[in-house]
Amino acid sequence: MSDVCDLQRRGLLKALPALAAGAASLPAQAGPQGQPHWAMLIDLRECVGCQACTVACVMENQVPRDSFRTSVFTYVVKDESGTGTYMLPRLCNHCEKPPCVPVCPVGATFKRDDGIVMVDGERCVGCAYCVQACPYEARFINHDTGKADKCTFCAHRVEAGLLPACVETCVGGARVFGDLNNPGSEIRRRLAAAKGQVKTLKPEHGTRPNVFYVGLDQSVQQRLSGGAATAPAEIPVIGG
Amino acid sequence: MNADIVTILSTRQDVSWLPWAVLYFFLIGLSVAAFVLSVPGIVLRRGSWIGISRRALLGAVLCGVTAPLALLSDLHQPGRFLNFYLHSNFSSWMAWGAYFIPLYLCSLLLYSWLALRPTLAAMGAQGGSATRWYARLAYGGHDSRTALAAAALLAAVGGLLVFVYTGMEVMILRSRPLWHTPMLPLLFVLTAFSGAIGMVHVLDRMLNAVTEDATRRLNRLLVAAQVAVLTANAAWLALGLAGWSASGAQAWSELAGVGAWRYAAAWAGTVTLVTLWLARRRPARGLLIGVLTLHSAWMIRWTILIGGQGVSRIGEGYSAYQLPLGFDGVLGLLGIAGLWLALYVVLISFLPWDNRAAAQGAAS
Repeated sequence: MSDVCDLQRRGLLKALPALAAGAASLPAQAGPQGQPHWAMLIDLRECVGCQACTVACVMENQVPRDSFRTSVFTYVVKDESGTGTYMLPRLCNHCEKPPCVPVCPVGATFKRDDGIVMVDGERCVGCAYCVQACPYEARFINHDTGKADKCTFCAHRVEAGLLPACVETCVGGARVFGDLNNPGSEIRRRLAAAKGQVKTLKPEHGTRPNVFYVGLDQSVQQRLSGGAATAPAEIPVIGG
Repeated sequence: MNADIVTILSTRQDVSWLPWAVLYFFLIGLSVAAFVLSVPGIVLRRGSWIGISRRALLGAVLCGVTAPLALLSDLHQPGRFLNFYLHSNFSSWMAWGAYFIPLYLCSLLLYSWLALRPTLAAMGAQGGSATRWYARLAYGGHDSRTALAAAALLAAVGGLLVFVYTGMEVMILRSRPLWHTPMLPLLFVLTAFSGAIGMVHVLDRMLNAVTEDATRRLNRLLVAAQVAVLTANAAWLALGLAGWSASGAQAWSELAGVGAWRYAAAWAGTVTLVTLWLARRRPARGLLIGVLTLHSAWMIRWTILIGGQGVSRIGEGYSAYQLPLGFDGVLGLLGIAGLWLALYVVLISFLPWDNRAAAQGAAS
């Protein structure tokens, strides 16, 4: 599974011939290190702000009207170097220390062994305590169910050996999804290549996100993320 | 490097703790504080407190019973409360609350029954169509001060735990700088006491049980409570302005420029000051003092809980909340207010709460 999920869309297209030959290996399988640790890298230099990811997520996950599990915030930034458009895709950060988990009074929010933070819809009481606790505004109360809702990294697709819908559809190839425990994964390679430039949102909250950004401009990041200036991110490599 | 940033496209997160939640924090705070006010007259049998304590007990029961219903309404589906007991996650303050609320409420009801028991027995002996029921409710009518003190102690523990959990539940949220301060639980407690004093003022007038001595005593208490509220608010503001509290400084930077929040906060502060002035200079205006004090306690909670949710955690800007007319807003608030009023009508129709009955209950 991880071999497939480590590919971003462009990489997937390039590798199509090889994949076609090895189609039998598509069903989910553990990475070489055993338990995967899913993460996402967003290369802001590749994001064109088309919102294809937003639409794909809404369609895939039947997100109700006026709510979003992911979306691309768009800004015009004017500074000494000139004026430009700035994109910032946002989603659940699937934090290593998710502040939403301990506050849930019924244990409906939990972090799986593969790093994905999930909500058990059967157990959730819709108290919105987790919505308040998330510093990234990644959660919301689903108007249709009256329960907490958020990005799941499209866990149902990942379990089927597919990429999350937002990654699959990303026009610019800005979103890279993969297994941090797999040393040969695309995400590990891209993170290593961007060493020193990889950042996370609101590191001062100590949540240790598993969504990483490359190309996050420090001069504007402080205001756009609603937090302090970032330091290069610590990447939680569990295995490998 | 300074940058001018214009947001072209973003999403706005809805307020997720609805007015019902504010109502819960308001009512449960009033209930616990009113219970404390009931102790001097009912448990300690201080003569000058008997009337005040009797109305405070009425207020504690009214608010204590209605508060959890407001909380259940905020769950969108009341039956979900069962999951609090089936799947308790004790790392959450809210989970503890699910145990503290019944502890407090049950002990409050037990305390109320023990306090009213002699009165019920007296009514059961008076004759009339309902005599039989009063006698049954009195269950012998024995006035046990030990049992009353024990029930009061249990309710006090429950009430203290309710104060602790309601404050901590909000205070620990680092994601919201306005809430992430130790001043918040303190302010919740102080405004609960001022609100409870205001509520007793109002109940005194609703029951036509006004006495000069009780009014003077309540005003004296109110002055102390409102001075404490204003001092706590000023300390909170000073901590933020001086930069001594990181969360306070951030909250101030986020909200200082927000007109809607600033006006609401200024209104809450002004009303608090007006009640302080009225209590000192126009002590006979008990109804006005009571209503305005309740309003100031409500406004402080509203400004913090609803106003605090308007601040974007992922960028700039403030989303002013517009109270909807439906059951998520005005209708919901009116519904709980109606329940409070209905319960009030039932309680005053069948039980005596005025000074004469209070004195009779204390004497028996």
